[in-house]
Amino acid sequence: MPRDLLTDFELMILLAILRTGDDAYGVQIAREIEATGGRRVLLGAVYAALERLERNGLVTSAVGAPTGERGGRAKRFFRVTARGVRAARHTQQALVALWRGLPQLKERRS
Amino acid sequence: MTPRRPPRVALALLARCVADSEPLAGDLLEEFEHGRSRSWLWLQVLAAIVARPAPERGEIRPLRLVDLQPADAAERTRRFSVRFPAVEMTAVGGVGALGLAGFVALMTGVVPAAWWLLAAAALAGCALGVVLIVVRRRALG
Repeated sequence: MPRDLLTDFELMILLAILRTGDDAYGVQIAREIEATGGRRVLLGAVYAALERLERNGLVTSAVGAPTGERGGRAKRFFRVTARGVRAARHTQQALVALWRGLPQLKERRS
Repeated sequence: MTPRRPPRVALALLARCVADSEPLAGDLLEEFEHGRSRSWLWLQVLAAIVARPAPERGEIRPLRLVDLQPADAAERTRRFSVRFPAVEMTAVGGVGALGLAGFVALMTGVVPAAWWLLAAAALAGCALGVVLIVVRRRALG
């Protein structure tokens, strides 16, 4: 049994980074989760999760150039590692396996 | 039109309480420049402080089920007891209740008004606890 399964929030963050592409940073990741995932998120929670994911080797980050709009503060761009992609896939498989065969969760067609 | 100024105290608090907070502060300023309110920024800062990762809490919880496993719970309890060893609350072993009763009698006799102070402090502590729990739950989604 793989130990690198993700929480729902971590999974959302990884997917949002993958959807955003190479220039994914905090605001964009939060916006992607809100727009596509339909979940309101706090930026602090996003960064806390990103830090945890980076510590576990599931994402890497690089600091960009400072901009005036941000008060001279640099952006931190995130990218999903191969291990992160594997973890997302493992989590998806685990969820699908748990989902399968449950009559309560079958879609009703009317 | 006067340009809006971000709450400097909030940003200073963020820098003081959250390690490596520069990218987050930049993101908050960027959103503020795009029309977010000061109260929004304050909320984000407080949530970031509450949600900041604890040191040495590195593992990823599989589907948030780990906490329910007895082995994990036992291991976490052991780790907690190592980090926060039990504190001896009594001045002399075995006479804690007697000492406490003496203190209560002394306080009631000498400064009875101090009970109000203690009650107010207890209530304030409860209220603060509730606020922290709510903010942390919101921060963790």
